[in-house]
Amino acid sequence: MRNAGLRFWSGLLIAVAMSGCSIQPLKSAEESALPSGINVPIEYYKLGNGLKVVLAQDASAPTVTVGVYYRIGMRIEPRDRTGFAHLFEHLMFQGSTNLGKMEFIRLVEGNGGVVNGSTRFDFTNYFEIVPAHTLETILWAEADRMKGLAITQDNLANQQGVVKNEVNDNVLNQPYGGFPWLSMPQLANENWYNAHNFYGDLAHIDAATLEDARAFFDTYYSPGNAVLVVAGDFDATQARAWIGKYFAVLPARAQAARPDISEPPQTAEKRKSYVDPLAPRPGLAVAWHVPGRGTPEHYAFGLLDEILLQGEDSALWQKLVQQRGYSSSVAGGINLLGNMFNYDGPMLWTLYLVHDPNVAPDSILADIDAEIARIQNAPPTQAELDRALTKIRAELYDLAGSSDHFGLVDLLAAFALFDDDPTRINRIESEFRAVKPGMISEVARAYLQRSQRSVLILEPGRTQGGSQP
Amino acid sequence: MRRLFALALTLLAFIAVAENRELPPAPGKPRDFALPAAETMTLANGVSLTFIDYGSVPLVTVLAVVRTGNIDEGESTWLADVAVEMLKEGTTTRPAGNIARAAAGMGGSLSVAAGAEQTSVGISVLSEHAAAAADLVADVLRNPRFPESELPRVLANFERNLSVARSEPDSVAGEALAKLVYGDHPFGRALPAAGQLGTYDIASVRGFYERNFGARRTHVYVAGRYDRATLETALRRAFGDWREGAPPTDLPPKASDVLQLRLIDRPGAPQSSLRIAVPVPDPASALYFPTTLTNSLLGGTFTSRITTNLREDKGYSYSPSSSISAHRGDALWIMNAEITGEHTAAALTEIFREIERLQREPPAAGELDAIKRYRAGLFVIRNSSPEGVLGQLAFMDLHGLPPEFLTRWVANMYAVTPQQVTDIAQRFILPAHMTIVIVGDLKTIADSVRALPQLREAQMP
Repeated sequence: MRNAGLRFWSGLLIAVAMSGCSIQPLKSAEESALPSGINVPIEYYKLGNGLKVVLAQDASAPTVTVGVYYRIGMRIEPRDRTGFAHLFEHLMFQGSTNLGKMEFIRLVEGNGGVVNGSTRFDFTNYFEIVPAHTLETILWAEADRMKGLAITQDNLANQQGVVKNEVNDNVLNQPYGGFPWLSMPQLANENWYNAHNFYGDLAHIDAATLEDARAFFDTYYSPGNAVLVVAGDFDATQARAWIGKYFAVLPARAQAARPDISEPPQTAEKRKSYVDPLAPRPGLAVAWHVPGRGTPEHYAFGLLDEILLQGEDSALWQKLVQQRGYSSSVAGGINLLGNMFNYDGPMLWTLYLVHDPNVAPDSILADIDAEIARIQNAPPTQAELDRALTKIRAELYDLAGSSDHFGLVDLLAAFALFDDDPTRINRIESEFRAVKPGMISEVARAYLQRSQRSVLILEPGRTQGGSQP
Repeated sequence: MRRLFALALTLLAFIAVAENRELPPAPGKPRDFALPAAETMTLANGVSLTFIDYGSVPLVTVLAVVRTGNIDEGESTWLADVAVEMLKEGTTTRPAGNIARAAAGMGGSLSVAAGAEQTSVGISVLSEHAAAAADLVADVLRNPRFPESELPRVLANFERNLSVARSEPDSVAGEALAKLVYGDHPFGRALPAAGQLGTYDIASVRGFYERNFGARRTHVYVAGRYDRATLETALRRAFGDWREGAPPTDLPPKASDVLQLRLIDRPGAPQSSLRIAVPVPDPASALYFPTTLTNSLLGGTFTSRITTNLREDKGYSYSPSSSISAHRGDALWIMNAEITGEHTAAALTEIFREIERLQREPPAAGELDAIKRYRAGLFVIRNSSPEGVLGQLAFMDLHGLPPEFLTRWVANMYAVTPQQVTDIAQRFILPAHMTIVIVGDLKTIADSVRALPQLREAQMP
């Protein structure tokens, strides 16, 4: 099953790594006390044109990661142009003020770096991981396309073809294509901005014009609607000077009004079945709406997610996979296209699995209900809570210490773009630790009612494994 | 309609395009890069230990790599996968749920995976739990309980996964390609036959384990930050008295080098899944280096010739790419592309055209230099992480490569000449030796593919 999301290219392999931001003395098991958590050194400021800038130095490897995040995602796109936010992401590689088609990518790869972009609910990002000595070149190139694009009708037609192939690769020619990351938001949400087809109607993708692209760029790709994050090995004074030289000269532009993307409270269970003609086994997905991002309830829900759904030690894995044997895995979480921090608006907590036809969806739902009821009726045990916090602590170290800096750049960008405060990254662990066990039960009672859930049933359209070649 | 507009070639700039285009500022001076140090030792029973001390957050990875996998399963396809999955079902002292909870309590999750020739059991944890992680990995490897009660559930999971795999174009194409390239070798059987999984019982699982797991096949890598003395003591205690077991299996496959074409029908599919394989020098060969560079230039990067042609010029495909896939004593150049159905034959023609162009004329020095800088940059990114180095070392150990493979990597790569790249294309990337599989809507694509001049002599197995 592919949870591919939408991105410029699937070919990029990021080296997964650990090397660090916050150097901590090692302790043996006996002396280890309560952890102080991560402490990423962060410099945050804004240019006169409104561009937010985040710098995070880490000289442990001679590489630097540059991310430019625009506050426009697939939620807010024109109603007759579904999929446009993603198509536009592709157009950002088709030529700009001083760089022709392919020249941006040649500049990055030819200097020893990797580049990609992706479109998510509330942002579109562009990032490069490059040798440290090429930082100025990359800043110049990102500023060049923030300044303006130069796209031909040929290039637009070319990328319409590429994007339609991407939709076929990931959705239309795949069993379980878009299940449930594309299909669930359309069932669980009421507001069109949250409930439309994010990959886009192929007819809408075909209908896109250069004029649409110009309007989209003018509306959403302004310096005041973006954040630039630089993380890795660089000299801060020099980086600030380059950012001033290449980005501060871009004129400020008016900000677009933001539409109302709120969701009404859900008061009755929703159920939908659909046939996937390519799938050989049934699928089941269930989703609930999560508490507002950044609230204490949201952090409590994050712990609830760890306890119920994350990892093979989680309650639902143990019940559905290990004990019942419904499937080889149960997957999901808050925000299937990211994490509990990198979005800005209504969000779903989704869990899903593929099972056998001899198991009725309602018996799986009954087991899920029982695990949820356990937490609703009594707070999690201290052991469960400790494990959840330990998993979070290790994830944060991994994020802060990864030498590709990509996860770090992503969180810094989200906290700058949506909260105007990237230093929140250093308080994640303390926010989780402030959650009392009783609050986890309260949140489970308030947000995980049966009347608040949406149930998506995928029926297999393919009777068996199919013809053997 | 779209085509009409395209012919008009409108240039609509959102801003005025610069009259005299500004050039990008030149990069500065490359910084020094030192590979993280690795130290290896071998215990009396044959277990190798490698320590990589690198990184600055308090995390450590303990990864045991055992030289077994599908290569050892004979005709019992996926028996290796089933046996390795069963390792997670508990040890003589820990039920399955305890393993998962113990791993989570250290900040990690146990990852267990069977591969073609290397099977891994590993975990990344908070540094303070390094010794306990070593104990857990050793316990899972050495003391599996193989509970018969859990086998039906595990087999049902594999049966379900198999059924899903048979519905995915990628798996269907991969299975056919493996069969055509490797024939009766275990690597030629990518998916089990119908009903085959049901014939495995706990005795076959235990038998596979007993035959193939032991000290002489095991190499434990640790990477990250940890207390060296404590961890080394724990590893020696945990692995030092394990039975020696058999040496690694020496069974390199012989890849097909005759032109074969297999078309598999997926009625109504909007795309064709194209796979091409041809034998190339393996990692132990002196020619491996120029071969990987040839691949990077031909189809291995976004700016490579085939990728640029099929995607950015023609719009036929989203992510066409090529790679080198290696076993011990064997390597293939593999081309993958998912292509809009109607352009299947045209895309194949473009791939052949790019290969023939490279065979005809060496690349310009500038083009090759850009590819070399890309590869050098990736080398630094990959080896800036302890886990990246760990992966490289496991690769070198499988292929019997000396330390110089890594330490002289950048120098060796920069030494490759344009003529060497063309020589590789002429000697190895030969259409007449290729195995080609296409999964797609045959009624719309088969005739035009079969009519391609390069495929006229193809066997149609």
